Amino acid sequence: MHSGAVGCRGCGWSMIARHISSILGEDTVYIVPACCFSIIVGQYPMNAMKGNVVHTLFAAAASTATGIRAALDRQGKEHATVVVLAGDGSTFDIGLASVSGAAARNENILYICNNNGAYMNTGIQSSTATPYGASTTTDPIPDYKKTWPKDLMGIMTSHHIPYVATASPAYMEDFRNKIKKAKDMQGFRMIMVDGPCPAGHKTDPSKSISVSRLAVDTNLFPLYEVENQRYTINVKPNQKIPVEKCLELQGRFGQLFKNGNSAEIQKIQDHADEGWIELLKKEGIETEEYRILE
Amino acid sequence: MPDQMTPVLSDSKEKIQQKESDIKMHAEREQSKYPNHEQQILKGNFAAAEGSKLSRAGFIPAYPITPQTTIIEAIAAKIHRGEMDATFINMDSEHAVFAAAMGGAMAGERVFTATSGQGLFYAHEVLHAIAHFRLPIVMCNVGRPSIPWNIWSDQSDSIAQRDTGWVQYYGESGQEVLDTIIQSYLLAEELDVPVMVVLDAFYQSHTSENVWVPSQDLVDKFLPPRPEKGNGIDLAHPKSLGGMVSPEFYEDFNYSYWKDINKVEDLTNEIGQKFKSTFDREYGAIEAINIHPGTKKILVTLATITTTARGVIKHHPDVGILKIRLFKPFPKKSILNHFEAKQIDPLKCKLLTVDRNFLGDNEGALMQEMRRALYGHKYQIHGVYAGLGGKDMPPDTIEKIIVRELKDTDEIIWIDNE
Repeated sequence: MHSGAVGCRGCGWSMIARHISSILGEDTVYIVPACCFSIIVGQYPMNAMKGNVVHTLFAAAASTATGIRAALDRQGKEHATVVVLAGDGSTFDIGLASVSGAAARNENILYICNNNGAYMNTGIQSSTATPYGASTTTDPIPDYKKTWPKDLMGIMTSHHIPYVATASPAYMEDFRNKIKKAKDMQGFRMIMVDGPCPAGHKTDPSKSISVSRLAVDTNLFPLYEVENQRYTINVKPNQKIPVEKCLELQGRFGQLFKNGNSAEIQKIQDHADEGWIELLKKEGIETEEYRILE
Repeated sequence: MPDQMTPVLSDSKEKIQQKESDIKMHAEREQSKYPNHEQQILKGNFAAAEGSKLSRAGFIPAYPITPQTTIIEAIAAKIHRGEMDATFINMDSEHAVFAAAMGGAMAGERVFTATSGQGLFYAHEVLHAIAHFRLPIVMCNVGRPSIPWNIWSDQSDSIAQRDTGWVQYYGESGQEVLDTIIQSYLLAEELDVPVMVVLDAFYQSHTSENVWVPSQDLVDKFLPPRPEKGNGIDLAHPKSLGGMVSPEFYEDFNYSYWKDINKVEDLTNEIGQKFKSTFDREYGAIEAINIHPGTKKILVTLATITTTARGVIKHHPDVGILKIRLFKPFPKKSILNHFEAKQIDPLKCKLLTVDRNFLGDNEGALMQEMRRALYGHKYQIHGVYAGLGGKDMPPDTIEKIIVRELKDTDEIIWIDNE
């Protein structure tokens, strides 16, 4: 990347973009719908990336990418990587149909979703990726979101695409390996990255990595891959850390620690535990209870 | 073929032989009318598909909607049979179709697609983007209205896209549609503006006509491959396309678009003449039928209504037709020049627009456009709403419009509701 990109301090996009770029190389076309990155990567006439960047409509990223892929292939440029860099707003909500269509056609596209759990670019409004218990401007304090986020990984794996994975900036080697692996595959590949956002999560910018690490280690954001329907969990915590340890560092969950809302924290803990058990089963580990694995 | 050439029971053997020889000569003469063409019986939609094939469109994102669907089906069949070299993708909605078209065009492909009504409305957001990204995409719209739900002939959908920036041509016949698609790519790629070619639902899209189909060689002589202008996706020289533009620079983009859109009318006429020298069929921004100094009424028409009107005015020598082929940008210059050349006097000649559209306004779109074009000239412009939602407009309806007494101030007339 060129210097001068305008991310917030501690922003997830800012951290991952240069890793993505250095691994994918210059024969890459990035398609960016409305999201924080469309601003971070530069307003006219600037471009922070060393590849072509196509800014496209909010609901249209995967469709635009489909057209670009078709054109490049007709021109004998199959080696060029077509990548969508999108946020959760576009991916989970307004652009979901477009993503689903492209995945169903198994378009030869790498789709990277930086999931920071809200419409952050427009000032922290709820999306269907916003976690249970989080406050935003549209689920405002003293209230908080009382519905669970969509299981995007589940949605994408039902499309029978070759590669679906989660990743985190706190586990950078794993992240880089996944980008490298995905780069060399064909077909629709989806990587959802846990995106720290100090402004929207109300965290200390210097704590972005440690909060993200806690998210993985408390099973709030498990790291796993699904390669041709086979599940592999990449990080198995060797101790059980309560979700509270991660939530208490984020101001957006502040309401859960007030006014007798502790039952909500237990709900989140149960949900994380059940998710982990389900994930273990998918990897092939038979269990009905939460387990630490040696 | 003239009726008297057909053999009948009472003809003698010699007469039949003579007639058969006449028929053969007639057919040969017909065939040589347009050398390097083949006469085919084609429905409007199939003529459109053929136009896209001859134009060597290379990327076809598609989604079905009545009544355009047979266009994309015909294209899919051509590609499957190896007659057309293009990538065809079944997209998941019209919004997605046009977004894919946008991507493909940004990466240098010649793109074609088709839609109708609700599909066009759904794609509206992307139509604006395509035009202001200055992408030379050509599409067909087979027009149908919005609500109430209706799949038949109405121009409300395409006219409602007036403000997107797309150039719009309306075709009267399958021949015109095929020929216009070819001309549209030439115009689009010279000015970097997208073009919409509009067909009338069912009356045009699903009815058969004799269409002279030019050979691929002839079309290639007229329409070269899409020129490279260096402003698209380029792996060797990466750039950013579509980043946010601040108020400081914004106007520059509109100014440059404005300059180019103002060239469309003249270029339409120029390309129409160039088409004539290659294909021997002439086109322009407008077509004037029976407009002369003695004309007392002029019907202003879009698309197939024109054909019916041509027949009716044969009984009305003082009624003419102004057929609008280039609707957007509206061909003000061509109209005013023609009226002046034919000495059309505002005090003696009344204009009647036939609006097969309803946009929630008092006046129909043609009436609005004619008023705008003829501003400052003292023409009476009456607007007739007719044929909405595909209501048939037989010669009787045109007759009614022609003979209806007109007041001295502009009127709005609902011809089937009086």
